[in-house]
Amino acid sequence: MVSFHEVLERATKGPIISPKDFDMRVFIPKVREVVENYKIRYDPETPCPADDDLADRIYQAAFDLYADVGTYVVDTERVIRFSREEIEDAVYEAPKEAYFGEGPDRCVFGGRKPDDSEIPHCHVGSGTDTTEDVALKMVEAYGRIAKAKTVSIPSVTTLGPIKSSAGSPVETLAGIYMMRIGREGLRRAGRPGMGIINHMSSCAQGVSTIAASNPDFGARPSDGWLIAPHAELKINYSSLNQVAYLTSWGANIGQEAGPIMGGYAGGPEGTAVVATAYCFHGILVARATYHLTYPVHITNVCSTTPDMLYVASTSGQAVSRNVGVPYYALGYAAAGSATKQYFCEAAAYLLAIQSSGMGIEDVHPNKAVVTNGALPIDSEFTCALGHGMAGITRKDANRIIKRLMETYLGGIKNPPKGRILEECYDVRAMKPDDELRKTYDEVTRELRGLGMRFK
Amino acid sequence: MSGDEALKEIEEAIVRGDTEQSSQLVEDALGDMDPLAIIQGGMMPAMEKVGNRFSCGEIFLPEMLMAAEAWNGVMKLLKPKMLAEETNIPKIGTVVIGTVQSDVHEIGKNIVATLLSTAGFEVHDLGVNISASTFIEKAQEVDADIIAASAIMTTTMTYQRDILEHLMARGLRDNYIVLVGGGVVNQRWADEIGADGYGETAVEGVRTAKELLNRRRGGG
Repeated sequence: MVSFHEVLERATKGPIISPKDFDMRVFIPKVREVVENYKIRYDPETPCPADDDLADRIYQAAFDLYADVGTYVVDTERVIRFSREEIEDAVYEAPKEAYFGEGPDRCVFGGRKPDDSEIPHCHVGSGTDTTEDVALKMVEAYGRIAKAKTVSIPSVTTLGPIKSSAGSPVETLAGIYMMRIGREGLRRAGRPGMGIINHMSSCAQGVSTIAASNPDFGARPSDGWLIAPHAELKINYSSLNQVAYLTSWGANIGQEAGPIMGGYAGGPEGTAVVATAYCFHGILVARATYHLTYPVHITNVCSTTPDMLYVASTSGQAVSRNVGVPYYALGYAAAGSATKQYFCEAAAYLLAIQSSGMGIEDVHPNKAVVTNGALPIDSEFTCALGHGMAGITRKDANRIIKRLMETYLGGIKNPPKGRILEECYDVRAMKPDDELRKTYDEVTRELRGLGMRFK
Repeated sequence: MSGDEALKEIEEAIVRGDTEQSSQLVEDALGDMDPLAIIQGGMMPAMEKVGNRFSCGEIFLPEMLMAAEAWNGVMKLLKPKMLAEETNIPKIGTVVIGTVQSDVHEIGKNIVATLLSTAGFEVHDLGVNISASTFIEKAQEVDADIIAASAIMTTTMTYQRDILEHLMARGLRDNYIVLVGGGVVNQRWADEIGADGYGETAVEGVRTAKELLNRRRGGG
């Protein structure tokens, strides 16, 4: 594979182009061209297509796109480009398994296939905004979910009365604080070796991530660090600095990307192609050992409408059939936590990605914008579904998803607000209240009626 | 071709994002029509249509940007003529827009800037990672009516508050309408920091800008 040093060389020697021209003259026309060339079509009736040929065409389209477009470096206003042979080599040589954690908590996250009978990698937790008083208990609660293999720890954006701001020293301190809380929470759960794979949700800047990664604070190379691009297919030196540091340390890097449906990528077809192309960027530029996608709708900002399910599902199929790297998806529900609508939206998203060959992660309630909005019961639901629905085919998933959408699509625009942690949990014991437990039991009973299983 | 037909064709060419065709049609029309009539009768309806289609999800950002390019191409033809004829380019207000400090997300901000521009505002887009001082100094320089600040992350929202605090510290708070927006921003946050307005979507943001400006000028 092309070395990271060579990538950095190309970041300073590649062709110069303005950011606007990159978007308007290179990226947008090429996305349109490959969507047309490969006849990629979206059918709202089939949010989770069982169509291997479509998946392979999306892969080929993404390959052509990335071979032509490459990755744009914001700081140098240059493009890192790779030949088709270099991309092919990278796909062949990319790690097909990622190893997270230590001792008995160590796990392997491997690539799957569509319609796979294997239980998917169950990743729990959320990097959403959480208050300091409950952050430790949240991590502990996540760690206690036995079926969970890896965890995301919350993002804390305050230090006592001080609000953290991106790029400020407070952000660095908040990152260090969360690293310590994360490790301590898992220790209290009896799983000190469990891999935390969303470092660093509390930090937007590379310098804070690097500071918080001091092993004295509990960081390990067997955790996972997420490297985010800019929309679309752009990266900056702050992220490349993180890659430089993490590769030198031998740490797991996760390529995370949230392609915007309705943005530069255009509609669902183009967004599926771009989501897939991020995989090449991840392997070559971000030097990723695992890959996360979270496509978002430009106006709804949620992931459970049919077009968004199509994007996640088809990209998952394209990558799992043709690359085979560890790949998982994060969805955003419109509904707030502790509501029936949330669980129905979450079920639809999880079925789409699980049957498409991906790993699964908790769907985040309330579009992930409500402080203390994510609940440990969301993780219980994710894992019970992941284990219960092992072996689900895309065809069966599509049938159930369509039934589920009938129950929630009408509520996407004005979704139920739901209840935050303090309103539906006994926080001291970290137990859901009777009303939430009743909602959970009712909704899982109804979902069983649609043919779903929970373990 | 009648004047109405010519304006309709210009409108359609801009909606399609066809810069070449729309420029050609405008050049042809300039023999019989003044630039202002072309802007008001063909170009502005085109961009209103584009904005509406975007907000309904019928078209996406690429189509909107191409329409905006066609608009800009035509304006390049019209501006010298308007200057020569001493016709004022119609403008309903001046906006300074950008993404706040330490935040590099630009798509939402670009959409709002495009819609504001084609709704008749003079827009000064500062780009991303913009400090409070830069927003304010630019607003002073161009005598802006509105400062519009986008933030996508919970850790960058605080820089929207900074803009308001810097304005107050300089005794300039009442000089500008301050609008905030972005993925994590909501009305509650806008109220908490004392912003004048908030738009959940780009189209709403433009509507809010027009309403607030109208109110400030003594309108309804």
